[in-house]
Amino acid sequence: MKFIVSSSSLLKHLSSINGVVTTNPVVPILENFLFEIKDSKLTVTASDLQTSMITEIDVEAKEDGNIAVPAKILIETLKNLPEQPVTFSIDKETYSIEISSDNGRYKLAGENATDFPKIPVVTNATTVDMSTEVLSNAINNTIFATSNDELRPAMTGVYVNLSDTNVTFVATDGHRLIRYRRVDIASPEAASIIIPRKALNLLKATLPSENVPIAVDFNNSNAYFRFSNIKMICRLIDERFPDYENVIPLDNNNDMTIDRMEFLSSLRRIAIYANKTTHQVRLKLTGSELQISAEDLDFSNEANERLSCEHEGEDIEIGFNAKFLVEMLNNINAKEITLKFSAPNRAGLILPSDMKENEDILMLVMPVMLSNYV
Amino acid sequence: MDAFFASVEQMDFPDLRGKPVAVGGNRERGVVAAASYEARKFGVKSAMSSKIAALKCPSLIFVKPRFERYKVLSVQIRDIFFAYTDLVEPLSLDEAFLDVTENKFNLPSATLIAKEIRARIKAEIGLNASAGISYNKFLAKVASDINKPNGQAVITPRQATEFLEKLEIERFFGIGKVTSEKMKKLGIHNGLDLKQYSLDFLTRRFGKSGLHYYNIVRGIHESPVNPHRDRKSLSVENTFEKDIHLETELDQVRSDLLDELFRRIEKNKVQGRTLTLKLKYKDFTQQTRSKTLNRFLTQEDIRVLSKELIYQESLKMPIRLMGLGLSNFDQEEEKAGIQLVFERFFEDSTDQSNED
Repeated sequence: MKFIVSSSSLLKHLSSINGVVTTNPVVPILENFLFEIKDSKLTVTASDLQTSMITEIDVEAKEDGNIAVPAKILIETLKNLPEQPVTFSIDKETYSIEISSDNGRYKLAGENATDFPKIPVVTNATTVDMSTEVLSNAINNTIFATSNDELRPAMTGVYVNLSDTNVTFVATDGHRLIRYRRVDIASPEAASIIIPRKALNLLKATLPSENVPIAVDFNNSNAYFRFSNIKMICRLIDERFPDYENVIPLDNNNDMTIDRMEFLSSLRRIAIYANKTTHQVRLKLTGSELQISAEDLDFSNEANERLSCEHEGEDIEIGFNAKFLVEMLNNINAKEITLKFSAPNRAGLILPSDMKENEDILMLVMPVMLSNYV
Repeated sequence: MDAFFASVEQMDFPDLRGKPVAVGGNRERGVVAAASYEARKFGVKSAMSSKIAALKCPSLIFVKPRFERYKVLSVQIRDIFFAYTDLVEPLSLDEAFLDVTENKFNLPSATLIAKEIRARIKAEIGLNASAGISYNKFLAKVASDINKPNGQAVITPRQATEFLEKLEIERFFGIGKVTSEKMKKLGIHNGLDLKQYSLDFLTRRFGKSGLHYYNIVRGIHESPVNPHRDRKSLSVENTFEKDIHLETELDQVRSDLLDELFRRIEKNKVQGRTLTLKLKYKDFTQQTRSKTLNRFLTQEDIRVLSKELIYQESLKMPIRLMGLGLSNFDQEEEKAGIQLVFERFFEDSTDQSNED
């Protein structure tokens, strides 16, 4: 079997799916790309069993055939070749692969394509159409709040609740929670799925910068994303997502509205002086003045700043993990934000002062208990 | 108390009196929990395997421990302590530190109080006790070993320096087998040797404990007698009837240990972040494996983690004992700076499966 393909075009396609390939996969053959040629079309598959990505590229080929090609060595080779057509010759008996270019010949050991795990097919699927921009916004707004706690798998992904009027994306690690809702997409059928973080990270890296349509098919066990010439299929997290609506407080009447960038920059400076493990900062609201302070007793470091804000409610002193606040404020696209509190041991709400059309975002963060030595 | 468990057995069963007795597992397996003074003459010590103990002392009588009985006596003894002071810090079932600087009878001398307490233990319970008297906990403990059994000793501030300089390093309270071996390699055989080393050197060698060693050899030990010493860990363990060879077998006995651990956790109302698996091999070498989460472990977490720990690496040789422990508790003083978690967030999803 033999085919000819542009080195740079192949590299571009492989790079977009290479993120799936893990360095130490459960099954060694998963260190390979699966190459399948049919009617001068090369289909390349990469998989880690949980997530698989597939791309297609036109090649010059006289016959059909399949082979598994070591991913790392192939990518390295292509990266270091000047743009040119390269010829792949595959020995069907030994699975040896020879790549020839103007510069020379490279021989590597492939594997039998039939050993490559079968990629699941999504049957009885529900399909939702959206755009890459919407999906990428949804991912960026939520993924940072997912949990690393492998003992609570439900929270290591983003929960997606689909209804006929909107789609809601939720991520939480038990300390903070993001709810991102779009009213410009809808599903023919109501459903809830949890998409693993790895798949979303791969999508985030692969989604094109220009806005193109994306179709999402899903059933109980898998989701299938189709856009441009890439397909991704991932196994869903089959767990019950925490009852997140119950933790969203409705009676937080202590409101503070503040310029987002001013608040963010101040937090970034103060955080430098906070305890390195708790990242605890203290917010003290007195009238319309916000005092932000932190101290690290281990190093006798301390800092404080004062900002003005609009404030409605009792004076309050509340502690937060600065890293959480910084991450959340970073991901809100608004000039001003409103923080809504009730008590120093109850969840605080962060909302953009003005919502963008078609989207609704709500962030929730649990405080850090303050010590009273100050 | 002197050889507490063994003495209780000899007290309750007159046939055992004057004979070498070991409380603990049977002759084949198990470990000596306590040895009577008659047995100690043969070199039988606590924590020694029963098999070796039996070799050292062929006439050794093995007695099964009756912990319930020991506990009852322990409470009675503690009540006697409380008659003199409320500042009683239990060290084990049969040992405690008492701060008698101010005592309920306004007795002027600690020596006198020690004498009275020992006499009352003998009269009311029937056991011999030893006491050590000094100006801090460390020295009192060391002093209590001087005239054992059935005696007492005082270390005055004037005597302390000389006494500690001459004291063999392994007899320092708090310096165990491992540390004393390390010290001996450094040429430290007694207090005087230890005194030669700088604080800087000791902290580099022994970490936090370095400061402690530096201080105690100078007779300095500031720790107050603390009647409410918080439990720092909670553990359960089980020595098997027969050595276990396979992880899958360990996995099977795990559920019994878990039940016991959960029962103890419930009873003590503790929450911990670290789970530790202890394995004792056939040759008595010990290995611990642990996992820590940045939150309190639920029963389900403990179930999952205990299994993971068992399979974490392969067994070096057959296992005679397995233990599970929970630690890294929520200390009151650490509460500040704790990141709060959404309330009732996980109850339905993770905490339901604790009855199986």
